[in-house]
Amino acid sequence: MESLYPFLYSGSTPDLDAVLAEVRASTVAKAREITELRQLIAAQDATRLAACATEMAARFSGGGRLLAFGNGGSATDAQQLATLFLDPGPGERALPAYCLANDTAVVTALCNDVGVEVVFARQIAAFGQPRDIAIGLSTSGNSENLLRALDEAARHGLLTVGIAGYDGGKMAELDSLDYLFVAPSSSVHRIQEAQTTVYHTLWQLTVASLAGIR
Amino acid sequence: MSAAPSAAVGDNEVARLFERRAASLDEFAGHAGTVAAACHAMAVRFHQGGKLVVFGTGASSTDALHVAVEFVHPVIVGKRALPAISLTADAATVTGIAEREGMGAIFAHQIRHLAAPADIALGLSADGNSESVLNGLLTAHGMGMLTIALAGAGGGVIGASPAVDHVLVTTESDPRVVKEAHVTAYHVLWELVHVFFEQPGVLGPAVVS
Repeated sequence: MESLYPFLYSGSTPDLDAVLAEVRASTVAKAREITELRQLIAAQDATRLAACATEMAARFSGGGRLLAFGNGGSATDAQQLATLFLDPGPGERALPAYCLANDTAVVTALCNDVGVEVVFARQIAAFGQPRDIAIGLSTSGNSENLLRALDEAARHGLLTVGIAGYDGGKMAELDSLDYLFVAPSSSVHRIQEAQTTVYHTLWQLTVASLAGIR
Repeated sequence: MSAAPSAAVGDNEVARLFERRAASLDEFAGHAGTVAAACHAMAVRFHQGGKLVVFGTGASSTDALHVAVEFVHPVIVGKRALPAISLTADAATVTGIAEREGMGAIFAHQIRHLAAPADIALGLSADGNSESVLNGLLTAHGMGMLTIALAGAGGGVIGASPAVDHVLVTTESDPRVVKEAHVTAYHVLWELVHVFFEQPGVLGPAVVS
């Protein structure tokens, strides 16, 4: 921290212009960081992203639905993922998708009565169908409730997709995952930004693949 | 699976889609001065006891939730929790206002009743033309709140509104790419507000521009 923002530790009178200059430089550096991370993921995952989207298209084509889930900021990504398929905008094909973090009655009931580790697994057990798709988003890859949900989904025959960060965490050790996409960074923020591109790309490729299915 | 033609989704297409994102990040880096000014203004408001009020429709409604949790429950250990609320979480209120008064009123109503003049309004709009986001910003500005906007597709009416104190405009019009630029923008706003906030000397009246 001290090396990043030395003016904070100098002990001298704060100089607003110096702080503003540091913040500008930091902004430029962070923008470069995320672009480099995206280049890395495109190089490492292009083939598997395309394969995953092809399988997702086949699931939708067979009447399957997308169930997305995550915690905290990743819960909002799961919501974005679901609404992207369900309400993609004019000229795009709407597809069935639902975010398992949406319903505060269900989520708080499961948290209160059983525990946070079952909030997504129980919902998958309740309405997941073998032809559906389960996508779990986590920056650490370690969220217990995601690991349980992906295991539950695999048991029911769903296509299972994990989107993680760092080195993939415990998700990388999960036998139940059909696809895992990792944003290899140690910044939670850059991970989430890259994950957004991963699932936006999955959507775009899935829609393109579906257009090819007659 | 063999149902779909593999030609539709080749590696080159994936590389092209990822590469497409770079220009909006370069543009964001070019707005570093606006980012710094917005972070400073936000830090001053927080320092004075203000809270952050965030809003957007459609995909941006999920960003509003993300921003709120970012400030209230920081992912980086040791960073101070700062007060923030999203105006997109309360489906009862949003749908109630939308049915009774129209979509254009959903955020302005909540701002009038939940916000105070010392607060910060942050509106997100992928096409820059969301009527409800614009009305929220206009109402906030009228109350004396600090107003900040993230607007895509060249900024639209929100980007051009004199009621917005700091606006970060993305030229890109693909709403997915705009959203990604917005995620980086609000992550950076969060990260760099703390640089000022941890140095209250630059938040005092003597240095507030």
